[in-house]
Amino acid sequence: MTGIIWVAGGLAALSALGVVFSPQPLYSALSLVLSIGALAVIFLVLNAQFLFVVQLIVYAGAVMVLFVFIIALLSPDREERFRVDARFAIGVTFAVGVTVAMLLAARNGITFNGNGFRAQQIGQASDPYHGFAFDQSDNGLVNTAGNVQSVGGQLFTTFLLPFEITSMLLLVSAIGAVYLTRRRRDPNAPVRRERALAREPQLEEDRIEVEVR
Amino acid sequence: MTASANFPYLLALAAFLFSVGALGVLIRRNPIVVFMCIELMLNAVNIVFVSYGRFLNSEEGQVFAFMVIVVAAAEVVVGLALITQVFRVGRELDIDDLDELNE
Repeated sequence: MTGIIWVAGGLAALSALGVVFSPQPLYSALSLVLSIGALAVIFLVLNAQFLFVVQLIVYAGAVMVLFVFIIALLSPDREERFRVDARFAIGVTFAVGVTVAMLLAARNGITFNGNGFRAQQIGQASDPYHGFAFDQSDNGLVNTAGNVQSVGGQLFTTFLLPFEITSMLLLVSAIGAVYLTRRRRDPNAPVRRERALAREPQLEEDRIEVEVR
Repeated sequence: MTASANFPYLLALAAFLFSVGALGVLIRRNPIVVFMCIELMLNAVNIVFVSYGRFLNSEEGQVFAFMVIVVAAAEVVVGLALITQVFRVGRELDIDDLDELNE
């Protein structure tokens, strides 16, 4: 288990760097797919089988297909130069500082409240119905109730209201996307051809040719 | 070495992913890539939720991570619709030029 976590975590970190630093947007999208897949493997090791499947279907499936489709539709240019200014310095300092601080804290063990609730003791509690224990090294529990069952039980009992609000959110965002991308019929707006001509005057010849015909 | 000993390193991984995503939001110019970096940050938060839920023996971390995934999907849909509209108006995909929207 430990090896899987380290390999998947390293892969996720490297491909995250690929997302940020690759100039071609399509390569950024493919790196993000790799990162999401690696994080899904980490979910699997952490006994979150339901989230593993959801991550693969929703993120690596739907969201990334949407990203790649939009990139193919808009075909954005390569990004040759990044914004290297004060924001770059602040961002790099933030990233390096947070990562080094968390690694130092990890080496010393994370403590809560300062009185020795160390990370090494967290996994020791009893695990009454956490579902099928993919990793049995902690407590050796293999329960018959599955992870989907236990998470679904939480979703439909304790968190029923947030779950229903989530469905409302999805409906609103779908309607919003349709509203935003609909073609507006404004009589005063220049038609598409005039806009294209104003942008690229060499298209004039093509227009004449079309009208003669 | 049990898996729970990895817990602080998972937090460190999440911090790394979050800060790299924030760095990407700061330095990239393409709004599509900026959206991808936001997705990266949300994924880092999900790692924290799931690992806390795992090592505190509770499903609630997974429930919250599920909510985060749903919100991220909705956000991507609306954001990419906005990006296509901006592209249709201006033909330029540079996030620094978006301040002309308030004119």
